Amino acid sequence: MGLSWKDNHALFLITIGALAWLVPGGGHLALNERRRGIIILVTVLLTFLIGLYVGSIGVVDPVHAKPWYAAQVMNSPAVALVGRVSASGDYPVYARANEMGQIYTSIAGLLNLLCIVNAIYLAHVRSEQEAQA
Amino acid sequence: MILSVMTILGSFTTPMRIGTNPASMLWLLPLVAAIAIVYKATKVHKVQPWPFAKETALLFGSIILFIVVAALILHGVAWIVTGQLSVLLDGSAF
Repeated sequence: MGLSWKDNHALFLITIGALAWLVPGGGHLALNERRRGIIILVTVLLTFLIGLYVGSIGVVDPVHAKPWYAAQVMNSPAVALVGRVSASGDYPVYARANEMGQIYTSIAGLLNLLCIVNAIYLAHVRSEQEAQA
Repeated sequence: MILSVMTILGSFTTPMRIGTNPASMLWLLPLVAAIAIVYKATKVHKVQPWPFAKETALLFGSIILFIVVAALILHGVAWIVTGQLSVLLDGSAF
């Protein structure tokens, strides 16, 4: 027995959301929004990398900076790997470099969260239009 | 080749030195640019180079203008509280 339209629709939205989380801009690229996807990919990735360069990988701290980490992991699940490396405490970072690094990496994550929501919304609108046509 | 890759990766393990001088405020510019670009990328109906650049520049300018105005107001409040208020209180009947 095949899945109902609503089940397929939910699965489609979840897939787009997961793609957008896995790779920044991935959701938009899957929806054939190439320019939008590339702009998001380059901007989010660059912002995150600037944050890591300024503050080192020590700014991704799942032990002592959990709220920041929650925002940072919105960039991609791959950030959790960086978190595992830095959780050892071998990369301490303090003061302004820590602040800047955390702000850049967390803002990049929150921007990607905005893009995930936008990709899911676009996917929803498109399937609604296709269902009506 | 491997050496250059290792050098690049190594640069991500030591933090930069950022002072607390006024010039360090310039670090907000790339962040504001990123916010403006991503926000506009999700908002515009169709991404076309020139209109997209124009809208992004407009948002970037608006955010910077708002930050400057907020900074001036806060500076004014700080100037009144730390400089003028103490003078007024010293001269009062209390």
